[in-house]
Amino acid sequence: MSAAANSSRQQTEAAEAFAGWLQGLSGGAAVDATSSGTAQDWLAAERQQAAERVRAQAVPTGKSESWRYTGLRSLIDQGFVQVDESLTALTPDDIEEILVPGLDAHRAVLVNGRYSEALSDLGTLPRGVRVGSLQRMIESDPDALQGVLTRIAGEGSHLFASLNTAAMQDGLVLLLERGALLERPIEVIHLSVGMEEPRVAQPRHLISLGDGAQAQVIERYVSLGDALYCTNSVLELSLGRDALLKHARVQQESPNAFHITGLYLSQDANSHYAGVNIGLGGTWARTDLVTRFSGEHAECDLQGLYLAGDKQLIDYHMDVRHGLPNCSSRERFKGILYGKGRAVFDGLVYVARDAQKTDAAMSNRNLILSANAEVDTKPQLEIYADDVKCSHGTTVGQIEPEMLFYLRSRGISASLARRMLCLGFAGEIIEALGPEALRDYVTEQVGERLERAPLD
Amino acid sequence: MLSVKGLKATVGDKEILRGLDLEVGPGEVHAIMGPNGSGKSTFAHVLSGREGYEVTAGSAKLDGTDLFELDPEERARLGLFLAFQYPVELPGVNNMYFLKAALNAIRKSRGEDELDAVSFMRLMKEKLKVLHLDDSLLKRPVNFGFSGGEKKRNEIFQMAMLEPKLAILDETDSGLDIDALRIVADGVNALRSPERSMIVVTHYQRLLDYIEPDYVHVLAKGQIIRSGGKELALELEEKGYGWIVDGEAA
Repeated sequence: MSAAANSSRQQTEAAEAFAGWLQGLSGGAAVDATSSGTAQDWLAAERQQAAERVRAQAVPTGKSESWRYTGLRSLIDQGFVQVDESLTALTPDDIEEILVPGLDAHRAVLVNGRYSEALSDLGTLPRGVRVGSLQRMIESDPDALQGVLTRIAGEGSHLFASLNTAAMQDGLVLLLERGALLERPIEVIHLSVGMEEPRVAQPRHLISLGDGAQAQVIERYVSLGDALYCTNSVLELSLGRDALLKHARVQQESPNAFHITGLYLSQDANSHYAGVNIGLGGTWARTDLVTRFSGEHAECDLQGLYLAGDKQLIDYHMDVRHGLPNCSSRERFKGILYGKGRAVFDGLVYVARDAQKTDAAMSNRNLILSANAEVDTKPQLEIYADDVKCSHGTTVGQIEPEMLFYLRSRGISASLARRMLCLGFAGEIIEALGPEALRDYVTEQVGERLERAPLD
Repeated sequence: MLSVKGLKATVGDKEILRGLDLEVGPGEVHAIMGPNGSGKSTFAHVLSGREGYEVTAGSAKLDGTDLFELDPEERARLGLFLAFQYPVELPGVNNMYFLKAALNAIRKSRGEDELDAVSFMRLMKEKLKVLHLDDSLLKRPVNFGFSGGEKKRNEIFQMAMLEPKLAILDETDSGLDIDALRIVADGVNALRSPERSMIVVTHYQRLLDYIEPDYVHVLAKGQIIRSGGKELALELEEKGYGWIVDGEAA
């Protein structure tokens, strides 16, 4: 058999295996949702349709552009099964070790995708702010979710989001009424704990800010130990007119974790979104950031820092659509690759014909510390308007020997010098995280990883 | 203190240093002068361990320790300091953090405790004053966005903090106006002591009006071709390098 035929046969097998796996995950959950009797009709219908989309959708292969660099085989091979029970045995003492020292925040904790009342410590929330479990809200106040939940992610979204819609059971809901102000940040800890069998959790989160509302959200994805599991999460974000959301996301999962996040953002006029994505953990981590504007003069600021070492693939996809005039978007991502680490940066900024006066800038800079590390970077601008300011740039480089020598000539060891330069490179992204306690914590997390990194 | 014998070094295929000898005693200040391309900066770089040079013959010992056996950081910990001709900008690396890491690495190698935060701050403020540098410099990234004069003063500030046994000043006067030059020279002179030696590498005599050397050497084509007292510098200023270099060649 020829190599080509062989590879084609393998692809077919992979696709079949994947399709089977997906249906196992989406089908069971969809039945579960409708039989529970509490979900509203509109939601049941959404799930049904999503399950059908999963069945109908072509399985991504190496040939589909957005999955070209992200092989699915390693994910399928794990044989993940859906988490179906909540884990209630944990006490606040158990999560002490994963907290950010000195971080002052309202705290919501989810364990394996389910909201945990026992571990959450919300304190006193200001007026007009609701935080809690999605499942609870579906049961108690589904009207508050209608027209928002599943609407932002939409139907055209990709496979894993559909899978999540079909299978979702719980997650976090944060609702701010018009004009509500959340001054103290809210920290959302997504904690994963290993189970006997490898599990997939499919939490669904919704953050909605009414007109003029302001909030600061810190999401952290953490694990207890080196657990093997998969998280397929979808986060829908809706910003009303003049709303402001500062959003820090720190993914620091176990080295065996598979992580998929679809973040869907909808911004109304004059709203401002400032997101900082830190990707440090997992063996296979993919994040899709999708932005749409529904009003003019909105600003979307996406920043990110990723570190990937041995047995790690970290993958960011951005899809920013300018369909209206006068909006601005900025993507600034930096990566540090070491050992046999791999990263993907695939950013698309689309400017429609009517989106005049769009201001869009995208940059991706990478620092490669070893010959075996790899980054595939692909910033793309698609512009159909003629009066816009758009730019993109990408760099892949190594540590400057001059800089290294300068530090060493002052008595600093080569390994510490390298670490200092990497942290210097990463610094401007970490700075954007907000609270000092969080910045210090992330700096330490990054430093620890670099300290363990092999020097080729 | 420093003993260099028969030093030869190449960059690529090109031999830059061709048998250089130099003895520097404790507390002495030696000026090395010479025309462009004579090997002055190469000499400074080879001593401090910069990559890209190959030592093909000879030795350099600091208090009896062979420098060429050591990494750059080990040389620094032994008490060698190079003030760069072109100080390197380190975006994102905080100046204070950098100095603390350097000082503690050096103290640790001497078997001393790390300085506590208060003593460290006090030491820094004291040294900053000598160099007429502003406190705000500490919060900035190392050399990043500094003016030419600030960069050079920052080099001498580091030297003041790290208190080396042997300091090599590589063209420290280049790019400085007269006021900045005076500040830098004052800073250097404040560091002169019977235990600390210095090698001042310069193209012009001007710097030596402010930092008075005990000895002056003329480096040409990779060798020291003339040594003398500080009056040699004045003679060079007057007559240029031609008369010595050509005389040697003839």
